[in-house]
Amino acid sequence: MNDFLSVSRMITAFPKLLASLSVTFEIVAIAILVGLFLGIFIAIIRMFRIPVLNQVMTVYISFMRGTPLIIQLYLVYYGLPMLVYNLFGVDINGWNKLFFIITAYALNEAAFLGEIIRGAILAVPELQTEAGYSTGMTYFQTFIHVVFPQAIRIAIPSFSTDLIGLFQGTSLAFLLGAVDVIGKARIVGNNSGHVLDTYVDAAIIFIVISVLLEFIFHKIQKRGDVVYGKLQN
Amino acid sequence: MLSLAHIKKSFGKTEVLKDVSLSIKKGEVVVILGPSGSGKTTLLRCVDFLEKADSGTMTISGTTVDLHRAKRSEILDVRKKVAFVFQCYGLFRNKTALGNVALGLTVSRKMPKEEALKKSKEMLDWVMLSDKYDSYPSQLSGGQQQRVGIARAAVLNPDIILFDEPTSALDPELIGETLQVIKRVAKTGITMVVVTHEMQFAKEIASQVIFMEDGYIVEEGTADEVFSSPKESRTKQFLSRVLPPEYNL
Ligand SMILES: Nc1ncnc2c1ncn2[C@@H]1O[C@H](COP(=O)(O)OP(=O)(O)O)[C@@H](O)[C@H]1O
Ligand SMILES: [Mg+2]
Repeated sequence: MNDFLSVSRMITAFPKLLASLSVTFEIVAIAILVGLFLGIFIAIIRMFRIPVLNQVMTVYISFMRGTPLIIQLYLVYYGLPMLVYNLFGVDINGWNKLFFIITAYALNEAAFLGEIIRGAILAVPELQTEAGYSTGMTYFQTFIHVVFPQAIRIAIPSFSTDLIGLFQGTSLAFLLGAVDVIGKARIVGNNSGHVLDTYVDAAIIFIVISVLLEFIFHKIQKRGDVVYGKLQN
Repeated sequence: MLSLAHIKKSFGKTEVLKDVSLSIKKGEVVVILGPSGSGKTTLLRCVDFLEKADSGTMTISGTTVDLHRAKRSEILDVRKKVAFVFQCYGLFRNKTALGNVALGLTVSRKMPKEEALKKSKEMLDWVMLSDKYDSYPSQLSGGQQQRVGIARAAVLNPDIILFDEPTSALDPELIGETLQVIKRVAKTGITMVVVTHEMQFAKEIASQVIFMEDGYIVEEGTADEVFSSPKESRTKQFLSRVLPPEYNL
């Protein structure tokens, strides 16, 4: 029992886990960027109720929200190569695992971020748009100069929650063989026979970074409030 | 300058404007009076295409448009001639006072930024907000916000400015300063339509008064005519409720 958890082993393993943090960050960063890009399209499709695409996106979002992430990961990992092979006759089975992992997270993010963006745009009062029209601006000009900047501010808290959720959600990537923080924790722990040490190490890393992210977003939010004042009507 | 012919507008089953026609000459200040719910706001909104009328036409500065079937380009054209001052100010929350006034100039009028800022500052000085250029709406009192709203409308040099109850969202002690600024705008000779419940103010600035009730224009005339000797009994009733007793209608 004495040997259950050892601080010195934890300290030895810690740098190895930290080194794998870059893989975790890579997944998060690319998934968020691609997710934002696609999410904007999804938000536009849903807001303007573009026929057919709107229905497709509604189903897509229900699927992404209604199925466990692990299933989405496996579907992309095993399904995407089959799909690509059947459609284009190209074998992508040998591609880097990370490619499939990041694709899965990005597709998931697109759905969630799309809804966050849409909700934030709809939360900007109609009067703001009307005021834009009354000064002679077009819908597009009003959107760019008035509605979208306000929507970004409205979206910050949800975006922050989503980002931290994604960060923690990457802990499933090891199931497909990613050597991110968790993957590394498993490997190092299995080799030494003391898995608990390395998982506690991983927990510390996740807590610190999550708290840090929360703190940064809180600062951004506060700064916005100081500069703009709280967004009221 | 502005004439409206047979405007009708319903929301669902409620007929809000039943057949409104009116004509305003250049430089006139028209005050619209009427009980709440009579359709005053809806009428102004239809003029600026913030609401789409069910039928009716409008002629503004020589151009005639169908209020129901106007094309996008026609709507944009009308909106460049019309400015609107909202009851609840409607300032852009992400812009400073200066940004609020300048945005229309730079974006819709394509004015170079330097020039737009210079004009906007002059306009803010003119509404007595020289010290508030960089304040965001949330940092301004209601009266100050509404003065920014007026500056934002006036800076565009429109053919006509529509004011929808510009002081009714304000605390009583802030109404005076705002009315003063509106009077100043009126003195420049710009054509204005003002919906208000401030009777003293209405009397002072109106060249024409329109009394609306239940989606119709019930009576119109000069300020003197309508205030001192209203012809219609409904106008009389309304005025006797809102005017001080010495009018003795
Ligand atoms: N967007 C809307 N949807 C439904 N009904 C509306 C809408 N806007 C105004 N109305 C109704 O139209 C009538 C006239 O409203 P309004 O033009 O605001 O009158 P006023 O400005 O004279 O008080 C009211 O009965 C109001 O409830
Ligand atoms: Mg009204």
